[in-house]
Amino acid sequence: MTPDELTMDQRRAPAPMSVAPDASLVRQALLLHGVQIDRVGEADPWEPAAVEHLEHLVGRVGPRPYGSLDLITVIERAGLTGHGGAHVPAAAKWRKTLQGGGPLTVVANGAESEPLSAKDATLMRQRPHLVLDGLAIAAEALGADRAVVWLHGDDHGTAATLQGAIAERRAARLHEPALELVMGPSHYLSGESSAITRALQGGPTLPTARRPQDPRSRGPRTLVHNVETLARLALVARGYPPLPTMLLTVLTPVSRMVFEVPRGTPVVDVLEGTGWLRNGPPQAVLLGGYGGQWASWRDLRSATFDEPALRAAGLSIGAGVVAPIAHGACGLAETAAITAYLASMSARQCGPCLFGLPALTDGMRALAAGDASRRERAQLLEDLRLVEGRGACHHPDGATRLIASALEVFEHDVVEHVAGRPCHEAGRVGLPVPGGHR
Amino acid sequence: MTKPGSTSRLRIDAAACDGIGVCAHLAADILELDRWGFPIITVRDLSRGELSAAKRAVRACPRKALWIETTAVPSVVQRAPGVSTPS
Repeated sequence: MTPDELTMDQRRAPAPMSVAPDASLVRQALLLHGVQIDRVGEADPWEPAAVEHLEHLVGRVGPRPYGSLDLITVIERAGLTGHGGAHVPAAAKWRKTLQGGGPLTVVANGAESEPLSAKDATLMRQRPHLVLDGLAIAAEALGADRAVVWLHGDDHGTAATLQGAIAERRAARLHEPALELVMGPSHYLSGESSAITRALQGGPTLPTARRPQDPRSRGPRTLVHNVETLARLALVARGYPPLPTMLLTVLTPVSRMVFEVPRGTPVVDVLEGTGWLRNGPPQAVLLGGYGGQWASWRDLRSATFDEPALRAAGLSIGAGVVAPIAHGACGLAETAAITAYLASMSARQCGPCLFGLPALTDGMRALAAGDASRRERAQLLEDLRLVEGRGACHHPDGATRLIASALEVFEHDVVEHVAGRPCHEAGRVGLPVPGGHR
Repeated sequence: MTKPGSTSRLRIDAAACDGIGVCAHLAADILELDRWGFPIITVRDLSRGELSAAKRAVRACPRKALWIETTAVPSVVQRAPGVSTPS
């Protein structure tokens, strides 16, 4: 299918979210409406998108309640989990934070490191006050000394919206902790929570290993929540039931589409709505983005967007990225390009990542080119085992999981490539991997 | 010293480790070096003898990248038969 054929269909945003936002609808959704954006770069919507001002938010969902520690049982009952990709229960993070006694910084992490993901930026641009409410509530509840929104340094559009929102709140003389906007580096790993922690404590923005610490120590504490998690907290704290929705970023041949679907929506429906099924099903889908994993169409055909169900099938939606590839694309070449990108984005601190990811890149490139010797193939499998779980952060694990899933999902291609019959498309990379178009 | 009812593990801060390799000389039974010269821990719960080797490695590391983690609850991980467990 050509990009031209798809464009017409995709100009229409997915139906449920394209209607004008009214109060009753917005109570049941995080986003005001779905947007379409470029395949790479900032989350600037193609069509003008709504921004919710403070008075609109208060009109729709009421004023922000004061954040108290009782909330910990509320968020536990609501089953609030992290929406940055790891799905860690929020209540568990709060309990851990409360064990320490040093000065506390609560962070709203809006640095979407996954290059394909744009749901956090879209949420912050449409409903900045909902995110800031969540941050203020968490900061009050835990008695934080600082409340920080952390963004990538190159995310200018989101920063402008948030600056405007913070100014609006100051003008309204809200009684709340001072909210700071901090622009981190634009590097892939600057969204990693231990890197943010280190940066806000005065160090470099690099991941750190979790070394043992006396739980009663008076050292500085940092609690990092994803911005979507905080937006959901802001609604749960107001007494609304937890929203049964998910934010997705779907890559199409011409754009990315960010929208909200009810949890449990069939994968088929989402791909249908984004124009992916017009000329037959995709070959495979990259779930969770470049640090995610491949899923075959056979496994996804009857699957739904529901994290527990996906996990039961050995999959995960991560931060909500869905990147299908068409028939004819070479999954091994795509994986080689992504691995090269992940290797280039290493913080270069840990040996297994610094040396392992380039080695994995060489192995994947040889496999994709169809000239991997028996020794190189054995080395690739050996390196997967060597690198797994040995970094201070989970960056190298993202690469090993991606490659392991590629070897499984594109098993047939591996056999053909090894026999010296690489795919026709082995020289072309369809995903918008930075530096992937060689 | 491992107390009854607790288990000890050797841990590595991979960001601090520079692959100098002193640990592999001092505690060859519980860790090995990968093909780039960085240590991989091969034994999970340390016996008494392994623990003293691990402590030597912790003290000798020029980058202070190693530590011993002691947990109160005994690990359920099975040890190879014939190896004594501290208890």
